Amino acid sequence: MRGVIELFKYKSLIMALVGRHLASRYRGSALGMLWSFLNPLFFMLIYVLVFKYYIRFDSVQNYSIFLFCGLLPWVWFNSGLIEATNSIVSSGHLITKSMFPPEILPAVSVITNLVHYLLSLILLFGFMIYFEVAFTATLLLMPVLILLQTIMMYSIGLMFSALNVFYRDIQHLLANALNLLFFLCPILYPPSTVPEQFQFTITLNPIALLISMYHSVILEATVPDMTSWVFVISFTILMFVIGNNVFNKHRETFAESL
Amino acid sequence: MLKKIKPDKKVASSEYSVDLFEISKSFEKNAGVKSGYSSIKSALLSPFTKKKVKAENLTTAIQDLTLRIPKGASVGVIGRNGSGKSTLLKLITGIYKPTSGYVKVNGRISALIELGAGFHPDFTGRENLYLGGVLHGLSKKEIEAKFDDIVAFAELEDFIDDPVRTYSSGMFMRLGFSLAIHTDPDVLLVDEVLAVGDAKFVTKCKEKVSELRKQKKTLFLVSHDLSAVERWCDEVIWIDKGVVKDRGEPRRVIDQYLDYIEKGEEEELKEISKKHEEEADSIQEESEKDSSGLGFARWGSREIEVSDIDVLNGDNQSQHVFHTSDALSLTFSYKVNSEYKEPVFGFGINRSDGVSIIGTNTNLESVDINQISSSGKVKVDIASLNLLDGTYYIDVAVHREDGYAYDYHKNVIKIIVHSKNNMIGVVDFNHKWEIK
Repeated sequence: MRGVIELFKYKSLIMALVGRHLASRYRGSALGMLWSFLNPLFFMLIYVLVFKYYIRFDSVQNYSIFLFCGLLPWVWFNSGLIEATNSIVSSGHLITKSMFPPEILPAVSVITNLVHYLLSLILLFGFMIYFEVAFTATLLLMPVLILLQTIMMYSIGLMFSALNVFYRDIQHLLANALNLLFFLCPILYPPSTVPEQFQFTITLNPIALLISMYHSVILEATVPDMTSWVFVISFTILMFVIGNNVFNKHRETFAESL
Repeated sequence: MLKKIKPDKKVASSEYSVDLFEISKSFEKNAGVKSGYSSIKSALLSPFTKKKVKAENLTTAIQDLTLRIPKGASVGVIGRNGSGKSTLLKLITGIYKPTSGYVKVNGRISALIELGAGFHPDFTGRENLYLGGVLHGLSKKEIEAKFDDIVAFAELEDFIDDPVRTYSSGMFMRLGFSLAIHTDPDVLLVDEVLAVGDAKFVTKCKEKVSELRKQKKTLFLVSHDLSAVERWCDEVIWIDKGVVKDRGEPRRVIDQYLDYIEKGEEEELKEISKKHEEEADSIQEESEKDSSGLGFARWGSREIEVSDIDVLNGDNQSQHVFHTSDALSLTFSYKVNSEYKEPVFGFGINRSDGVSIIGTNTNLESVDINQISSSGKVKVDIASLNLLDGTYYIDVAVHREDGYAYDYHKNVIKIIVHSKNNMIGVVDFNHKWEIK
């Protein structure tokens, strides 16, 4: 728990660092923060082009919106986790040269990418209007899903960022694991297309369940079933405990190992 | 495993600003990135437990060090490179955690160790001050209140809205120093950084530190500049190989330390002389004449040979570290191997950059030595060395009057001279001031 209390103590520092990350990403570019919209826009259009028009994946109604619902939180998950894993190693100078609370670094990575996700949601809502997808009351569950994903990412990021200080293989393993995970999640395809004997890759996969939950609250206007909630929340709590434990075991040796 | 010692409740430790109790710090050798199959395997097998490191894989940087610094004291820390000074600072700031013992700091600590460590090059000075202030534990309001003072002190009013990557290194350091010193610290750790910027800024820094001392803030100065330590500190702590070797009144501890340093240098220089002697023995043939560099060289046709070169102090003891006004004697043996004529003995002293301080011989000084026995000794007595601080090399040679070398030893002896004062130059002439 100590870690979370520290996080709240340093919230102004976290916000300052998030601001710095956001500003530094587009500093010097003419379009500036506009890229926060343009990047996911182009990204989404490419996926629509390939999967809707080339591969003609049309077993789902409103395939474009289906794609965006899963793709956007995945992009947040993917880049947030990769950045969080590298966060302590890449800010080595702060750890070795000042009294810097290391646990805020993975939090900064997660939150920075959360901001990008939230901005891209505006695009998603724009497309929903364009494709005439109804806004329903289940959308109110979005903040809950986002909060769950934030805690889950922070917990996993906490663990990997600490281990990555000692075993730099982690970052490469993670990048490959995320590639695999992307295709094991119902982002490009609906869960129903998965053959019976492979269904466990969805039902036992907390990230896949989370993506499906986004689908149901945005597109299907249904409250996700109890099993998904229990599974995803338990996984988040488990990762939180493990992440904090691993991190606290190692935090005192970061400065001398970097 | 970490041995946790809880602070003794009976001790009113709040009267100390820095309270280190029996701290030790060991590092795992080759710490850092682990690679190789075995470490990954062990990590996978026991990912959540910290591996116990075997004692032989540990290096101890600080051992059982107890240091209690009362509030308002100015403490200087001296010691050779690698003695554990930086580790000690990092333990006090909390960057490192002690392997055993406890570290307690009362009040806000500001470390002038890595100035501007958290600055981002693409951001303006203003943005960096806000961010850096937060890193130093200041709230946004506190930074706003001090902002103008910080900028004025750093003399960066005209550049504060430029990205710091456009700053010169001096400007960067000034901004870092100004921020660190304006954080209103209770304990100020200074590591060799009073030398930021130009002379004018250094004076300002020193004034600011003096001001903090007057406000009864604790100053912790780590420096190789012993005169600064003596001037600034009420107490000096001498650390060697991770333990406190001595502490107390600055003058006394610094003198002890200097003595110790000279002993260390003496050992080192004796080794060099011994090595040259051994090398000289193995150079049988006429070796390449290399009179330029500072490396040891020997050449000559060896009709007469020179050996056992040594420098002695006033008590005829072999010595290599001298003070400016010390007496020095140069001695060596010679041996005649075959027919020779017009023998001339010579010696020279060169500064470490190759400048010749003196080069003389028996011929130049008309010392009559037409006949020498088959072997013997030569001694040159210098009543007062008069050399200033520095490293010097000695040449010894025997040659013919026309310069033909019998045996020439270039840079055979290395000596170190320490001055008691900070005079500049090479030679301290015997001189007297008269002011009317």
